[in-house]
This record gives sequence, structure tokens and C-alpha cells, in this order.
Amino acid sequence: MRELWNIFKKGIIVENPIFVLALSLCPALAVTSSAINSLTMGLAVMFVITANNIIVSITRKVVNPKVRVPVYITSIATIVTVVQLVLQAYLPVLYKALGIYLALIVVFAIILARAEVFASKNKVTPSLFDGLGMGCGFALALVSIGIIRELLGTGAIFGIKVLGSWYNPALIMILPAGAFILIGYMVAGFKMWTDHMEKVKLERGEL
Amino acid sequence: MSDENNIEPKVNHEKKYSIFQIAINLTVACFISGAIIAATYFITAPVAVKSAAKIKNDAMKSLVSDAQKFNPVKNKADWFTAEKDGKIIAYVVPAESKGYGGEIKMLVSVTPKGKIIDYDILVSKETPGLGDNASKKTFESQFEGKTAADLVVVKDATKVNNIQAMTGATISSKAVTKGIKEAALQVSQFVGGK
Repeated sequence: MRELWNIFKKGIIVENPIFVLALSLCPALAVTSSAINSLTMGLAVMFVITANNIIVSITRKVVNPKVRVPVYITSIATIVTVVQLVLQAYLPVLYKALGIYLALIVVFAIILARAEVFASKNKVTPSLFDGLGMGCGFALALVSIGIIRELLGTGAIFGIKVLGSWYNPALIMILPAGAFILIGYMVAGFKMWTDHMEKVKLERGEL
Repeated sequence: MSDENNIEPKVNHEKKYSIFQIAINLTVACFISGAIIAATYFITAPVAVKSAAKIKNDAMKSLVSDAQKFNPVKNKADWFTAEKDGKIIAYVVPAESKGYGGEIKMLVSVTPKGKIIDYDILVSKETPGLGDNASKKTFESQFEGKTAADLVVVKDATKVNNIQAMTGATISSKAVTKGIKEAALQVSQFVGGK
């Protein structure tokens, strides 16, 4: 149980997909202009990455290593297409809201990376937790970027005004350039924090 | 000649799988995923058509709130008239335009006199947070009551009669406005020619 928790936990901080692994930075720049967009995208990715990890893990013994990458991509594309079809039929409003994001998920580096690095070498349960953890880390990173960009760029969070009319929104924050600047600072901040934590651990270990 | 014969078996020996096995593996994977998608589509397609029709009806209702019923217009595909007490109060017509991220499909409601009532974006791939703000009230409300002649995108806040471009999304603003303008002109033409 403890092992599974560690697998889950590492995706959130130690191997955070955005801030540490620096994978799938493209969606982190593109869809984080508002907190709600970030959250929707984060949850969608979390679902796909978990489902794909499970499938890759189940089929890991029958998939030929020479064609594993095309097979993984096929698997991701199938999951996304099925989700798209089901949403279109039963939850058309959500489908409309997710619209362009769903199709984008197919090519996310983080999903393929987890299939390749983890799910293809591990059993189903650890793969499930790896997917959940990585998905959570991805969603949290996206939402935190989204909240900061929305707050600075429009003075609101989740569409609710929090800063008064005195605040003059910095438009650059909801434009792509703002995302580049912010993600740079956040990656640096994250690195400083993890370095500091490591140091603390080392000192404690030595004592 | 003899060299080639020596090399070939060596290479084959190193490979654990023949190219045929590898190809079959990928083919089977694609076939399974194709079958899954086909099965899902078979189940969801009829439901999707129904919910799309319902969404369209709801969209038309939200465009012309006073309307009591919608009737298709003869000879015009996807055109509807919104009627109240037997009178035509608006036309609901489809509009299309090319935006920043490709095609934008809209539904526009226009009064018989050619004034815009409202519009709804059905399909678009505009940038989230910038171009897709075209479906938000702040941009949308600018169109109400305007005629085709007013529909020019400007970046000058003093020109209240025109359409103010969305910040950071001039192309999307222009595309949406162009689509709506064409729809309004078509309605005027249709009503005038009647």
C-alpha cells in the first residue's frame, strides 16, 4: 500500500510532469488562460493517462517492442475517440465545452511517456496509480498556472471577480507570452523549493 | 555475391521477430481499436443525432426568446422562421466564416428588417481564452439591434456604432462579424425579394 502511495505521490511533486519533467508544456501554455479551462483539460488528461496506462499495462506482454510506440498512440487515440463519441451522444454540453481539447490530448507527450517509462514495465495496479498521480500532478500544475494567469490577466478566478476595479489587468498574462514568462518563474521556483527540501532531508539524515 | 549471402542470415538471426510478425502485431492493434471505435459509434451515433437536434432547438429558442414556434423556410436549407402569434418576428439562419483556428459555424437570428438579434457559435476552434471569447456576452451584446452596415470591426472605443475587436483576437472578431454580416445581408435579400 505504501509503495502505491509513493508511486502516486511522485507524480505530484518529485516528478511533476510540467515543473520537473517539463513534458506537455505546449498545452500548459495554450489552454491555461483561465482557471476553468485548465481544470477541464487537467481532468480530461488525468482520465486518458490513467485509462491508457491500464491498457498498456494489460497488453504489455503481447505488444511487440519494435512497434510499441505506434501501438501506444493507437491506444491513446482509441480512448480519446471513444470518450469523444460518448460525450457527444450523452453529454453534448460538456462535449461542446471540451471541444478542441479532446483531440489535442492524443499527442500529449506526457501520456506516451508514462506508457513507455512506466506502464509497459509494471503491473496493472501500480500503472493505475502512476497514471492517477501523473494526471493529478498535471492537473494541479495546469490549474495553478491558470489561476495565476487569470488573476493577473483579468482580475478574476474561475470567472469570479476577486480584484476590485482599481486593478488594471495585465493583458500579457492571458496572451501566450505571459504563459512563457510565468511558467519560467514557476519552474525556477519549483526547482528552488525541491532543492531546499533535499538539503533539509540531507541535513536531517546526517544528524 | 557470396558476401551478401553471408550477411543476410546474420542480420536475420539478430532479429528476434520477423517483419511479418511485427506488422501483424501492429495490424491487430489497429484492427482491435477500429472495432472498438466502430462499436461505440454504432451505439452512440443515433443518440448523438438526437441530442444534436435538441441542442439546435434549444439554441434557436435562446436566440429568439419570444418565439412560439420555429418553421423551416422553403427552398432554403437550414433556415428557420421564428413565429409569434402567426407573425414572423425573426429569421434564424446558419452562418459560416473562417477564423483563426479554421471554420466557425454560427446560428444568427435576424429580424425581417435586417437587424441582428443574437447569435450562437455552434462550432469553432478559436484560441481558448482569446478568440473563443466571441461566445461571451461582452462581445455578443455588441451585435444586438445593429444592421449589416454597422458591422465593421474597429479598435476605437469611441465608435460605439461598430463592433469593438476582442483584445488579442482581431482575426476571430473579424471572422465572426463577417459571418453575421453575410447572414444579415442574406436575410434582407430574402425578405426584399419575397
